[in-house]
Amino acid sequence: MDMVKKIVTWARIKSPWILHFNTGACNACDIELIAALTPRYDVERFGIQLKSTPRHADVLVCSGPVTRQIEDRLVRIYEQMAQPKFVVAVGTCACSGGVFKGCYNIKSGIDQVIPVAAYIPGCPASPKAIIDGVVKLLATLDEKK
Amino acid sequence: MIKELFYLLIFPGFLFISAFALAGEYIDRKLYARFQNRVGPPWFQPLADLIKLLAKEDIVPCDANANMFKLVPVFALTAAVASIIYIPLWQSSSIYSFPGDVIVVLYLLTIPTLCFFMGGWYSTSLFARIGSVRTLTQLFAYEVPLFMSILSAAVLADSWSIKDIVNFYNSHPGYLLFNGIGFVVSMIALLGKLEKTPFDIPEAETEIVAGSFTEYSGRLLAIFRLTLDIEMVVGAALISAIFIPFGLNFSPVPAFIITVIKIELVIAMLSLARTIFARLRIDQMVNFCWKYVVPLALTQLLINFLIKGFFR
Repeated sequence: MDMVKKIVTWARIKSPWILHFNTGACNACDIELIAALTPRYDVERFGIQLKSTPRHADVLVCSGPVTRQIEDRLVRIYEQMAQPKFVVAVGTCACSGGVFKGCYNIKSGIDQVIPVAAYIPGCPASPKAIIDGVVKLLATLDEKK
Repeated sequence: MIKELFYLLIFPGFLFISAFALAGEYIDRKLYARFQNRVGPPWFQPLADLIKLLAKEDIVPCDANANMFKLVPVFALTAAVASIIYIPLWQSSSIYSFPGDVIVVLYLLTIPTLCFFMGGWYSTSLFARIGSVRTLTQLFAYEVPLFMSILSAAVLADSWSIKDIVNFYNSHPGYLLFNGIGFVVSMIALLGKLEKTPFDIPEAETEIVAGSFTEYSGRLLAIFRLTLDIEMVVGAALISAIFIPFGLNFSPVPAFIITVIKIELVIAMLSLARTIFARLRIDQMVNFCWKYVVPLALTQLLINFLIKGFFR
């Protein structure tokens, strides 16, 4: 049983499929995220693939402070993902709300709405930082078992 | 009884063909990455994807027909695994060779496509339904040239069994030169069958999310992915057995190695095509198949009839 668990954890670390979701960002973080997926950085080395449906994805990569309009959609997309699932907040806005913190029309960060596993700060977060963040998230997965 | 179970489950059945299919997927993805000047995935990537998906939660949409939704991937996998039984791998004859097995293989390779359609249809998601209708539309476009090109090679060999076709072309290699058009046509049709890039219209991720597989997750998606990989290997094995049958009349071990190399070569050609071309629209795809590919296949059939009439 322990062996099976180990193999499954190994497989999870080696094959994180991500889903990109813009929760009201200014697009800068999205451009950097797309840059991280280009052949220049080649994330397929780590088994990372961009998937287009929440059903296939393991990691939900969100960018931007959650606007009140997108809040319901974010929760719905999160609920459509299959267990086990992780959320990564990319960019200062996604981590804390950034310059928009306290505005009447936003929720100040992803973690106000859904649980977040990793925070990647930066305005915008650079592709290298994003890849580093995802790799660190997977490392914690190994410790938890 | 035990021998049959061994054939079905271990070699060349489920276990062997799954490992081979995963290796085929790795070669496809690695070559695709190298063609794009990337490093590409490590060798265990398809296996890691498969295990991860097997360990994930299965979600059945509440609107979907739960029984069909769960059964259809198993049907698809069964048909794909069964088709390897009739493909020669280490001798000119397959294990259960009989006159007509080339047609059985072609039909067994059609069942997964129908299962993709039904899976998409019964998941009742809008994107899945559009994808599944496209799967079926595409099926009618590539299936006819695929059958015509493979069966025209069989017409020249004057037999419906893969064993006789392989033996005929091995003893008269000159006739293979006339099958060039058929080879090209069957490669194009195989690209359509495997839903690879110039013809990946049913799962066009920039338009309709993930096509028929939109609602599938976890174990069921893993089975569908494995089915596609097995279909790729079996299709490549069929094409290599009929159009490049060299080496199958050697003693078992070298024949098996040569067969594996030939299959990997066909897969490499498929991934080259995947790199070069961009996705067509569904109407362009149907037009292309019926306007250019079917006449080519008909030409091949005509050439083979003439050669058979005049020279054999």
